[in-house]
Amino acid sequence: MPKRNDLEQKALHFVVNTGYQGVLQSELWRELSASSREGSRVAIKLEEKGLIRREKELEGGRWTYRLFPKRMPANIETIVDCPCLMCQDNARCDPTTAISPKSCEKLTVWIISLGKETDDPAPIEAQVDGSSD
Amino acid sequence: MLSTIDDATLMKVAVSLGEEEAVKLIEFLKNLDEITDDEIANKTGIRLNAVRKILYKLYDHSLVSLRRTRDPKTGWFIFHWKLQPDQLEGFILSQKRRVLEKLSVRLDYEANHDFYYCDTPGCRRVTFEEAVEAVFHCNACGKSLVHFDNETMTEKLTEKVEQLRKELGE
Repeated sequence: MPKRNDLEQKALHFVVNTGYQGVLQSELWRELSASSREGSRVAIKLEEKGLIRREKELEGGRWTYRLFPKRMPANIETIVDCPCLMCQDNARCDPTTAISPKSCEKLTVWIISLGKETDDPAPIEAQVDGSSD
Repeated sequence: MLSTIDDATLMKVAVSLGEEEAVKLIEFLKNLDEITDDEIANKTGIRLNAVRKILYKLYDHSLVSLRRTRDPKTGWFIFHWKLQPDQLEGFILSQKRRVLEKLSVRLDYEANHDFYYCDTPGCRRVTFEEAVEAVFHCNACGKSLVHFDNETMTEKLTEKVEQLRKELGE
């Protein structure tokens, strides 16, 4: 049934985005504008599918569950700017051939650029000063 | 199947395909069930050959599925495409594994070699063995070779490799 599935997908996204601190089941169904019955059923379904974990918690004198994602969402951030990701030479790239990750110039430039964006502006200014000598 | 991938990640993958119009195409495709390449071109304004190029690229990574029918009038094939967001997680993981493999090779090479360079743009670094053979003169420009400190590079690379390993649970 697509409708039930939609709600499950939304619920899963919501739980996954809360990360390690998890979310209370009562917050989940309010967020999804669903009833508490629907909310708890969806949470049970997701737990049965092995996608989330439920832990009992006392909140305002009432027992509820805190929901934690079991898996963190797959994220491409770490490699999104790596030249190897969509390299046209991928099929020919091998450590034993002329096109190799050992000597790849595109890879060298990327490695040097790693962490540059998090640098303070001071070292860059220092570099500019140094080069003008 | 329920997926933990959100739209933002889907769009980042689209950007990483390196085709300018891939983002527009995926944005359009994600709200639809099945559609032909002709219809995509008409409705998005992307040129038909560009649409096909992007679709084949996506198909290579199983990010779209393909159904083929025959036009009863002309006898030509009609291709029906459908986005498969549930394959995205597998795609990301396999790409990470591949990149990790390349970076590990590079890290190993950087860590186990001493490099020399002539500081001329366009000339490549050489290993200590190659430098000895060339009597510490660049083969391309003839300038003398000096030691190249790759410590920062190795550190950055180690950090990235560790991060990837952690993300892949290795």
